[in-house]
Amino acid sequence: MKFSASWLNEYLEKTLKPQEMVDLLTMHAFEVESLEKFGDDFILDVKILPDRAHDCFSHMGIAKELAAISGIKFVPPKADFAEDGNLQAKDFISVKITAKDLCPRYSMRVATDIKMGQSPKWMQDRLSACGLRPISNIVDITNYIMLETGQPLHAFDVDKVGEKKIIVRRAKEGEKIVTLEGKKYDLSPENLVIADAKVAIGIAGIKGGEGPEIDQNTKVVAVESANFEPTNIRRTSKAFNLRTDASMRFENGFDPNLTEIALARAIFLMSEIAGGKVAAGLVDAYSVKAKPRKILLDVDWAQKLIGVQILPQEMIDILKRLEIPAKAIKKGKFIEAIAPTSRLDLRAQEDLAEELARIFGLDKIPAQTPSGIMIAATKEESLVYEDKIKDILAGAGWSEAQNYSFVSEEDAKAFEIAGQVKIKNPISQDQKYLQPTLIVNLLKNTNENLKYFDNVRLFEIGRSFMMTGEKPVESHKIAAVISNRNFKKSAEGFFELKGLVHILFEKLGISDVWFDDEISFDLAPWLKIFHPVKRALIKSGQKEIGWIGEIKEKILNQSGIKNEIVAFELDLPALVALASEERAYQAPSKYPAIMRDLAILVGDDVKIESVLNIIETMGGSLLFDTDIFDIFETGVKKSLAFRLIFQSDERNMTDKEVNEIMEKIIKAIEEEGWQIRK
Amino acid sequence: MEHIELEAKKEIGSAKNSQELEALRIKYLGRKGRMAELLLQIKDLSNEERAQRGKQINQLKRELEELFEKKKNEIKNSESNKNEKIDVTAPGRALPFGHLHPRTLILRQVEKIFQSLGFSVVDSSEMETDYYNFQALNFPKDHPARDMQDTFYIDDELLLRTQTSPNQVRYMEKHNPPLRVIVPGKVFRRDASDATHESQFYQVEGLMVDKNISIGNFKAVILEFFKQLFGKEVKIRLRPSFFPFTEPSFEPDIQCVFCDGKGCRVCKNTGWIEMAGAGMVHPFVFKSAGYAPYEWQGFAFGFGLDRLAMMKYKIDDLRMLNFGDMRFLRQF
Repeated sequence: MKFSASWLNEYLEKTLKPQEMVDLLTMHAFEVESLEKFGDDFILDVKILPDRAHDCFSHMGIAKELAAISGIKFVPPKADFAEDGNLQAKDFISVKITAKDLCPRYSMRVATDIKMGQSPKWMQDRLSACGLRPISNIVDITNYIMLETGQPLHAFDVDKVGEKKIIVRRAKEGEKIVTLEGKKYDLSPENLVIADAKVAIGIAGIKGGEGPEIDQNTKVVAVESANFEPTNIRRTSKAFNLRTDASMRFENGFDPNLTEIALARAIFLMSEIAGGKVAAGLVDAYSVKAKPRKILLDVDWAQKLIGVQILPQEMIDILKRLEIPAKAIKKGKFIEAIAPTSRLDLRAQEDLAEELARIFGLDKIPAQTPSGIMIAATKEESLVYEDKIKDILAGAGWSEAQNYSFVSEEDAKAFEIAGQVKIKNPISQDQKYLQPTLIVNLLKNTNENLKYFDNVRLFEIGRSFMMTGEKPVESHKIAAVISNRNFKKSAEGFFELKGLVHILFEKLGISDVWFDDEISFDLAPWLKIFHPVKRALIKSGQKEIGWIGEIKEKILNQSGIKNEIVAFELDLPALVALASEERAYQAPSKYPAIMRDLAILVGDDVKIESVLNIIETMGGSLLFDTDIFDIFETGVKKSLAFRLIFQSDERNMTDKEVNEIMEKIIKAIEEEGWQIRK
Repeated sequence: MEHIELEAKKEIGSAKNSQELEALRIKYLGRKGRMAELLLQIKDLSNEERAQRGKQINQLKRELEELFEKKKNEIKNSESNKNEKIDVTAPGRALPFGHLHPRTLILRQVEKIFQSLGFSVVDSSEMETDYYNFQALNFPKDHPARDMQDTFYIDDELLLRTQTSPNQVRYMEKHNPPLRVIVPGKVFRRDASDATHESQFYQVEGLMVDKNISIGNFKAVILEFFKQLFGKEVKIRLRPSFFPFTEPSFEPDIQCVFCDGKGCRVCKNTGWIEMAGAGMVHPFVFKSAGYAPYEWQGFAFGFGLDRLAMMKYKIDDLRMLNFGDMRFLRQF
């Protein structure tokens, strides 16, 4: 909000330089975002935070802050106007509030014999400095007083107010109003209006209606100075998308006593500038009077919170500078302070502690190392494993991406995943859904990277979201992709990524991992992103940990990706549950190993796993390891070459022993209908 | 003989290759070589003299044989090495080498520093309820304070968290004080993206609660954090601020590390960089967590991890952090 430095100085006994104002405010109250020259004046753009909007959206409020911080005396502006004894304000206008819950106070003053015209130059300059356009003397005065006191005012031409009655009420269903700007609004009982005897003449706290508008012929002016319930004003303002300087102030709420103070100043200026006669008396509907608040401050508590032994008397002095009367009670253990009605934010002792700390000076508080019981710092298991996994994947050559959590409408269609979580108020079509899987964005990364690299390996650990029934559910996932232009054989990517899965599981101490491709599409609708056969569920025992597969060509084509991409996604909590730190050391055998090679010819549809199972089962415990070192596919048949390593922990094995076991294995192989190649 | 000894040793020493050396060996140790000549020469001496001289000659012969052997090995090694010579400046083989995201690197540093100060690291969810994200933190419904954080809603109660602060209440509900935790995580704001603003970014939340915790304690902790992070003492200033969940509230600024506070583009010529939001935990929040409001004291803070990453690695476009561009990643 913009403030004029020279205007602020009007309320200070001693002049402050603009830069001094900036420094004092920044270090003790509000950040000043800029300081700019404006003719002979300087404009401060002050960032007033929500808890002080009620009293600092005004030059007087900021000046009071400067006074409290610097110790310079605050000089209130003059409001010594003379009332004309022959004129009674209540003869000109009456006020009734029917919606008392939405309007705590409505006050008015009346001035007659008004000469409409321009406001003086000094007023026009100040209005311009603060970003407001000068209009006419009466309107300018209302705006000026708003900027000065924080109380918005509205001037009515009394002769145009139906039956000279002001009624503050809820609008009727279907009631309409046309504002000063000529725009029409449909009202409802949700909205508070200022009405005369016949119609609504203003949207309360937001915009005046065109009915009783001031014009060049206006002779009698009634000035509205009111206080409205903030939440209602805020709702109406949002509903009509109508934000004004007035509504901005009303929606924060402020001191009801301000109505009277502002009116006094306004009417004073009107008599001085527009030559009006002030009708005697305040027309005032004030249902529940605002009262100052008594707050008890525990001195010891406050000293400990701030970290400085500020003495009770010092505390009282600071509060006094802030216009908060205070006294020490209970032998100086407590301070009883009376928070004025102008400070809505002072409710309890922590609010007073803040006042003390900031006026005393946050920079004057010395740094003190906290003492206390040493608590062992731990890290939550899921995060520890996240780190481990990142290191394992990076060590194997995959780089870490971190993407947006959103996917677009287009992505949702392309990936055909049902149950995506929708954002109610997205900022664009690009960010309409939450990502159902990390793969969507990793594919985009891959596409981009293929422009510059032949070999793309990326992973991401993040959160994905899916609807489960009626509720959205957040999951913690690990996903990785690979795409390499230099791959010669088909499915090379699949097996390289499978290798990565094995490294990961092994390093996490999970011994059981297998790849299940007997999946029905009905059970796993999200598998629609994959090639129909080159995909599998990754399992440990019967538990599903994740899936792996080549991305379907249709999706690649839609994204314009010209290379095969393979991806996997694993569920982090499932992985962590299985991971263990347990490793049992097994001493290598002292006895030599005996090796045998075995070449087997099987049908194309036979899985390597089934052949391995037979070999290992028949081989027994003396078969230490089986390695497959060659796979040759002719299209109809598959030739598999195994190296079998026999070894015992207890003795030397003999060739005879090994031969016997080999015979058993060979017999079992042949029983399956597979052929041993000699 | 001495003359031959000197000459032989000199020539052997300066032999450059095996051919030269072989020639020398023949010259000195060959059947018609110098040593053989010497032996012939002593033929005509007396028995005594011949025995003594012979002994000397044989000794020299042995010495020379040793020298030849040694030199032969030397030359053999250097010759074979010459054939095996390589250009050591040629590039090494490109082995698999993955890169971690700069945020991960910075976060690990941050976690390490706070863990050394006794803060535990806690996990959290990105999806939150209106209650924990706002109401429990003293943001009533329809309150202007909510305008400070534009929110993405999923339905009436669920939203994407706008700050990591909800975890203060969640953690306190499940644990008794004294406690020290940090909560890193992704947060979401309904803001348009540009070079310095994003709709999602990472924050690190901190909370310390005990019987007597003061603003002075916060200063000490944050000073220590910056000192360890930047590797040197960093000046800070505390400015008053406002957050519904802290009272008093303040913002620590650090003296610009790029220009030492003199003013530059990074600090917009002010000499200070905004780093975090902080304050003393509001009694309302203690109440939300089920603690007696004035029995405990604590401070909380939240700072942007992305901004730290940008400062540390001199990244000037925030959007680079939210993608997987390998040209970017491989620099870390």
